[in-house]
Amino acid sequence: MPWSRFDCDYAAPAGGERELTYCHAVREAIDQAMQLDSRVFAIGLDADDKFGVFGSMSDLSHPERVLGTPISENAMTGVALGAALSGLRPIHVHLRNDFLLVAMDQIVNYVAKWQDMFDRQVQVPLVIRSVIGRGWGCGAQHSQTLHGMFAQIPGLKVITPSTPYDAKGLLAAAIKNDSPVLFFEHRWLYKNTGAVPEEIYTLPIGKAAHLHRGNGLTVVAPSLAAIHALKACENDDLDVDLIDPRTIKPLDLDTILASVRRTGRLLVVDYDFPFAGFAAEVCAAVTEQAFDALVAPPQRLTFPDRGMPAAGPLERSYYPTPERIGEAMRELLAGQPAVTV
Amino acid sequence: MTDSQPNSTIRRDDALWLLRRMRLIRQTSERIAKLYPTDVMETPVHLCIGQEAVATGLCHHLRDEDKLFLGHRTHGPALAKGLPLEKLMAELYGRSTGCSHGYGGSMHLLDLEHGLPGSSAIVGGSIALGVGAGLAAELGAGHFVGVSYFGDAATNAGVFYESLNFAALRALPVLFVCEDNGFSNVMPKSEHSAHDIVGVASQMMPTASIDGTDVLAVNDAAGRAVSRARGGQGPQFLHCRTKRWMKHQGPERCDLIEVDIERDCPIHKLERFMASSGMVTPRELADLRSAIESEIDAAIEFAERSPRPDPNLMEA
Ligand SMILES: Cc1ncc(C[n+]2csc(CCOP(=O)(O)OP(=O)(O)O)c2C)c(N)n1
Repeated sequence: MPWSRFDCDYAAPAGGERELTYCHAVREAIDQAMQLDSRVFAIGLDADDKFGVFGSMSDLSHPERVLGTPISENAMTGVALGAALSGLRPIHVHLRNDFLLVAMDQIVNYVAKWQDMFDRQVQVPLVIRSVIGRGWGCGAQHSQTLHGMFAQIPGLKVITPSTPYDAKGLLAAAIKNDSPVLFFEHRWLYKNTGAVPEEIYTLPIGKAAHLHRGNGLTVVAPSLAAIHALKACENDDLDVDLIDPRTIKPLDLDTILASVRRTGRLLVVDYDFPFAGFAAEVCAAVTEQAFDALVAPPQRLTFPDRGMPAAGPLERSYYPTPERIGEAMRELLAGQPAVTV
Repeated sequence: MTDSQPNSTIRRDDALWLLRRMRLIRQTSERIAKLYPTDVMETPVHLCIGQEAVATGLCHHLRDEDKLFLGHRTHGPALAKGLPLEKLMAELYGRSTGCSHGYGGSMHLLDLEHGLPGSSAIVGGSIALGVGAGLAAELGAGHFVGVSYFGDAATNAGVFYESLNFAALRALPVLFVCEDNGFSNVMPKSEHSAHDIVGVASQMMPTASIDGTDVLAVNDAAGRAVSRARGGQGPQFLHCRTKRWMKHQGPERCDLIEVDIERDCPIHKLERFMASSGMVTPRELADLRSAIESEIDAAIEFAERSPRPDPNLMEA
């Protein structure tokens, strides 16, 4: 198998390596996977457009394996699943994760279930990439972040990279994986740059990363929230242990628990809905498994429990910011339980 | 049904109504395009310059109780249905006086008084909502028709077939209006549809395929379709071929199509018809244009003066 030709668990770059944007890291993973394995192809609405999904699919070396589709997300998900069950390794691409909702039947009843239903005798090497976007009055149907909801469904792996290095390594890992993976890329991260090795590599799915070390408070934050939380730590030089789970599911609970056992405090920052979401899951798991270590109630900082508004002042109040994350961190560090939801 | 002949016996009042609404939509869209680069409207805009005749010819026959469900390209059809201009402008400006109180933005417009129960930015889904309105009427909620208004690319979604089928099975008072501008976002119809839209619809209900740049033709066909739907003859399908002069989104011209004003501009064609048949003088046409400009000035002033929504009042 071509995929055995490169290593797993590639070490993070020490610095001084080539810099790439998040967008181009995604592009490179797809391009190299396509070169490595002729079974890999991409399909999606406007996937073959000249703008190439915000630049993440432009100038690929195998354009003949990039297929545009009509606005038929539900059927196209089934088509991708059928292709995955028939020997190929599809990457189904969506310009916004809100459009996945049109394909819920295929994603939840088919894609997620296909392995369990047949006692895992089949492989489903299918990646569903979708971009998360928001801002500029896009409103309630074009601004959602849905990783928590999908993570609730058994049978789906959910990946939310926050850095270019993670984006490339985890996307390659997702394509290499023989089970369905949902890969959520935040549009606001697309222009961020970071060191990215030139050769293809994978990162382990289900392994968190420390973005900042400290002993006073554990903060768990995925995707854009991780980058905002890092900014908050650095702005105020806070004593925070910041963990980016990188994959929502499987979740690296060990890393989170080890940290909470040291700090005794937990804040989960999640740019997603609060109710029964990822932040709730982390708080519940930590409470179950490290209750004795906690010196304060675990806290959540998420979107409010309502649809996204459009007007500027409403948007700015709706979405957490590095400043608001910093406030929540300082309150917890000061020992006062902060009510943030 | 096939192409219908424009009704050249149209009354002056009716022709003036059509012209007024089309001009309102055109001039408003042009003003939005002009202002958009200044960032006063923090919301995506899907303009419909060139497509005004479709919504206008249709809405001429709709009453306030009739329920019109729209997709993302909302401004023109909403104005045609009766959404007050200042409420549209205030929504685009993100003000609390907007039709959705600043919560909706450009793609989510509401006007319950004028039969606009909301619009959706996820392509396809709102086709089913028009059927729901038809079902409600059938079940006794009132005397109205449901209207599903969508683009050519929405016919690629399964919900399109499912909705037509259900409406036809139950003979519901529903009008399906396909505003076919020949494009999805940048994909031409030849690349997104193997099917013939009218061919598919005609298997389930009466259809009319019309030159959607000819408002008299749309008006005529819509009049017949609406009265059939109202009269208990089941769902009707209107396919209106038109052109999108602007890019899919934003204030720029589309470079994928050629526009010939004589051939493609619904307003130019109606004005020419009205002038040649003695319904209007050049002076009246100029007065109408400037009256609408003043209306737009006033709507913008209203929007600018209006307060922004208070985030503290946003309930979780
Ligand atoms: C389910 C879904 N997929 C993709 C999109 C992105 N999108 C928005 S509008 C559009 C094109 C729609 O074309 P058409 O239905 O013909 O309407 P038009 O824009 O031409 O008025 C696309 C692909 C979306 N909004 N919803």
